[in-house]
Amino acid sequence: MPEKKLEVKDLKISFRTTNGKVQAVRDISFDLYKGETLAIVGESGSGKSVTSRAIMGILAGNAIKDGGKILYDGKDLMKISEEEFQQVRGDKIAMIFQDPLSSLNPIMRIGQQLTEAMLLKNKAQRKESKANMKAMFAALDARMKEVGITDAQHDLAKFKDFGLEHSKLQTEYTEAFDNASEALALAENSVLRIDSKALDATLHTDVTQFVHAASRAKNYFVVRDRASELDEAVAAVKAAGTPKDEAGYAPVKAALEKAIDVLKEAVAFEKPNTFTLAYYLKNVKHEIPKMPVAEMNAMTHKETEQGFMDAFQAKAEKAVRYSSEETDKARRAAIELLTSKLPILEKEQPDKTEVDAAVKEMKAAVIKCLDPLEVTKDSLTHTFDTSIDYAVDLYFGGFKRNEKEEKRFARSTAKHDKIIARGKTPDWEVIPMSLVNLEAARVDMADTVKEQIAHFRHQLAANEKADFAARTLEIVDYLKEQTENSAYKLTSHVARERAIKLMEGVGIDNPRRRFRQYPFEFSGGMRQRIVIAIALTADPDILICDEPTTALDVTIQAQILELINNLKKERNLSVIFITHDLGVVANMADRIAVMYAGKIVEYGTATEVFYEPAHPYTWALLASVPDLDTKEKLESIPGTPPNMIYPPKGDAFADRNANALEIDFEMQPPMFQITDTHYAATWLLHPNAPKLEMPKVITERLERIKARRERQKLENEARNDDTQNAEKED
Amino acid sequence: MSEKTNEPILRVEHLCMYFGKGEGLKKAVDDVSFDIQKGEVFGLVGESGCGKTTTGRTMIRLYDATSGNVYFKGKRIVAGTLSYKNEIKELKDKIAGKAKNGDQVIKLSESEIQEANKRIAELRQMIKDAKHDHKDARKNGNVTQIQMIYQDPVASLDPRMTVKEIIAEGLRIQGVKDKEYIDQKVYEMLRTVGLVEEHATRYPHEFSGGQRQRIGIARSIIMNPEVIIADEPISALDVSIRAQVINLLNELRETMGLTILFIAHDLSVVKYFSDRIGVMYFGNMVEMATSDELFAHPLHPYTRSLLSAIPLPDPESEKGRVRIRYNPLTDHEYSTETPEFREIVPGHFVRCTSKEFEKYKAEYDK
Repeated sequence: MPEKKLEVKDLKISFRTTNGKVQAVRDISFDLYKGETLAIVGESGSGKSVTSRAIMGILAGNAIKDGGKILYDGKDLMKISEEEFQQVRGDKIAMIFQDPLSSLNPIMRIGQQLTEAMLLKNKAQRKESKANMKAMFAALDARMKEVGITDAQHDLAKFKDFGLEHSKLQTEYTEAFDNASEALALAENSVLRIDSKALDATLHTDVTQFVHAASRAKNYFVVRDRASELDEAVAAVKAAGTPKDEAGYAPVKAALEKAIDVLKEAVAFEKPNTFTLAYYLKNVKHEIPKMPVAEMNAMTHKETEQGFMDAFQAKAEKAVRYSSEETDKARRAAIELLTSKLPILEKEQPDKTEVDAAVKEMKAAVIKCLDPLEVTKDSLTHTFDTSIDYAVDLYFGGFKRNEKEEKRFARSTAKHDKIIARGKTPDWEVIPMSLVNLEAARVDMADTVKEQIAHFRHQLAANEKADFAARTLEIVDYLKEQTENSAYKLTSHVARERAIKLMEGVGIDNPRRRFRQYPFEFSGGMRQRIVIAIALTADPDILICDEPTTALDVTIQAQILELINNLKKERNLSVIFITHDLGVVANMADRIAVMYAGKIVEYGTATEVFYEPAHPYTWALLASVPDLDTKEKLESIPGTPPNMIYPPKGDAFADRNANALEIDFEMQPPMFQITDTHYAATWLLHPNAPKLEMPKVITERLERIKARRERQKLENEARNDDTQNAEKED
Repeated sequence: MSEKTNEPILRVEHLCMYFGKGEGLKKAVDDVSFDIQKGEVFGLVGESGCGKTTTGRTMIRLYDATSGNVYFKGKRIVAGTLSYKNEIKELKDKIAGKAKNGDQVIKLSESEIQEANKRIAELRQMIKDAKHDHKDARKNGNVTQIQMIYQDPVASLDPRMTVKEIIAEGLRIQGVKDKEYIDQKVYEMLRTVGLVEEHATRYPHEFSGGQRQRIGIARSIIMNPEVIIADEPISALDVSIRAQVINLLNELRETMGLTILFIAHDLSVVKYFSDRIGVMYFGNMVEMATSDELFAHPLHPYTRSLLSAIPLPDPESEKGRVRIRYNPLTDHEYSTETPEFREIVPGHFVRCTSKEFEKYKAEYDK
């Protein structure tokens, strides 16, 4: 099971309007795992954008957070302050908006806006990584001392020392490699242009850029011993200047071809393992060993393992085991305490002083249950104190607030009535009362504690079969990453190159010229692509895409989706993708949540939702889009989504569903579980429900897909047979 | 399509629309020709900025075409004159001795000057003819036979007019004064597009996106047009509403016998809706065929890359999708021969050189 990046629990959000309270999101829960894409699908007004805005902390001023949690990295995003949120927003959780115009600064050049994010992020990351590294080293040191390892300080210093060296080597290598591959691409393009006689300004800039890139491409591991050849080629290109005709370009072409030869070999070289090499350089010998890269990697790897890593890991594992045992002890104690204090909160009429005392003790006990050696933060335990404080405050503060609200309402109504009594029509309406539900608040206090107890029990059970070696490895990797990041300094030159590459990636022609332009010089589609590029430069943990490609055409859309998918794979990014284009969802999503009228009506993996849809609303959505083989009339969804000031009592979709059951109008269906990962909220899944067929459009489409798949399978088999036969004959 | 006998309802001939001058000249539409038969839906696809909207707008003279002609039922309604004017200016410069070839001033002989003058007279006559045709088209009401539906249902409706005023504006401009007739007609149109009479007195902001697009459609069909140019009518709409609008257009097409030029970038919808499809790339029409034919045998590399980019509601095929990239620099060899629009098999046209023509033909036969 991959690590949970984000947990949304029982989220409820409404908006205060003059007509009443609009319930935009009603009790939704979902998890986002590391490295997956979760697509949220639904019509406009279904609450999908509100959900994403709640995660970003940018809800409108009239929003009311009715309850629920959004847990991320040891924080509850529903309850942290604006200052804390600024650490998260944009940096950790980035968002691509639907409307690109409002997201760009009109008086800054595009290039500056792109690199600014990268440079700032890099600076922040260095600082953060340094702090993380220090904290982890200190925690490890403390735990090691407790298990009787006294020379921990020495080991950690060593680790840090070559960790920094590794970062330096890595930076140098990457910069040279990036430049080499860029120079190669430019040289190839230029030769192509010369061949096709396109001797224009673009060719000239390409050649100039090639000279720049090629002269930065030299590194021990990239161009290696052919540096002089590359230098010669670059000098020849430089000497030729800007020839006017084809004959003038002949020497340039020859030089470029030579450079291509060198660079092709350069980028094909194996990547050195800079981490182990750094160890070798710092602790064994102070010069790079002269041997093939693969051999060198193996040698330095062995040296590192034998000389340091094995021993270090053994020691660290001891500390990890000890730390885990200690935390488990604390957890058991905490469970006992929480259970004993629970009745105080569960009383019919809890006493304020008694509760406050109990809560204080509980908080102290829970805080002890945090393992200092955890890499993934235990969000629920981290947020226990804010959660319980919030719940207690809501209940005890609720009396006063309700009283105030009632008074205001009475006063306001009296005023309103007075005006009407005078025979006038007032131009304002009485804002309805929004009262705290005291009963629910009281139950919520106890529930917070119960949830924590259950969480601890779950952790204790999980720890019984914990793999400490794997955990130690996780810590070593974490340290490696943090040391690397704490020393990695992004220069503005590299940032520029990376930004240009990214601009190319999102399909902007001639990025070097565009780099210096202002936002108003770009068309709408181009601006959208820039905004996407900016969001990606921040290298976030979680990327929220709110209909990013709706305004773009298919080719660019495909290009951008590919880019997001590649980044996701590369950086293990978690993506929340909001859209109503089911084709895009099929392409991007690992899992899908279908939202309607503020609720998740169906939730499952992409294949489950597309091939075995269970909710009538999902059917309706699927049936309303044509695919390439659709011939029959499309089935549109009649009517409009319900008014969310008065949300329907039963299934919200019943009004627009021709085949709705009677119970759909009376009772809200619960989430029925279909498989381990597939859930749907519809009464059709109840054992007593009548059997309803999916719309014909979908069944036919699924059959077509099935038939095509089988045909392909047969073809593949036939092809395999052919090749096998051919091999036999050989 | 080869043995057509009757005149197509719309014929576009070598239409060019250039913006800007000199260095900044942008060929938005460059030599585009196609026919639309009566009652058919012709889809125009391509990436943004390829000139598909400009083509549609030039066809109803929202822009003055640079050159080329558009015929509606055999009558010329658009004639590009800018290229004639430019030629006249050039010839005049030559006669006056202002034109230069490099550093040398071109000097014309007596006979050449005579020829130039003759040509100028010819061109002037052509401009006159064009103006005459434009006037004629306006007088005969041919222009009102072609109506347009715009992409953005919010921006294309005047917020200060009621729905009735918006829909009836065309009739009023045409000089209809009978209020009862106008009311009747407006109500009829509202019913046709699935709205009710009460909606007539409301303002556009009171409607949802799908309803606004219906108002736009009602406005375009009140003049009883024969051709509708639908410029991305569903791009700005929500999924569930898209199907409603497409179904509505389909119904109108059957009941009113409409011919539709459907401009869009959502290829699955274009495939579903159109009889024939033209693919545009950078101002050029690169491929044209019936929609089944185009999707079954795409020949031009750009069409292939476009088709490979369509997202389909099928996760398994989507995850394994390989996008074909189109790079005009490497995919074509245009340095020796300028490409032309050629017919590979009857009804299937591709813009290619003679060499490519042979290649495509061989590929097709395979």
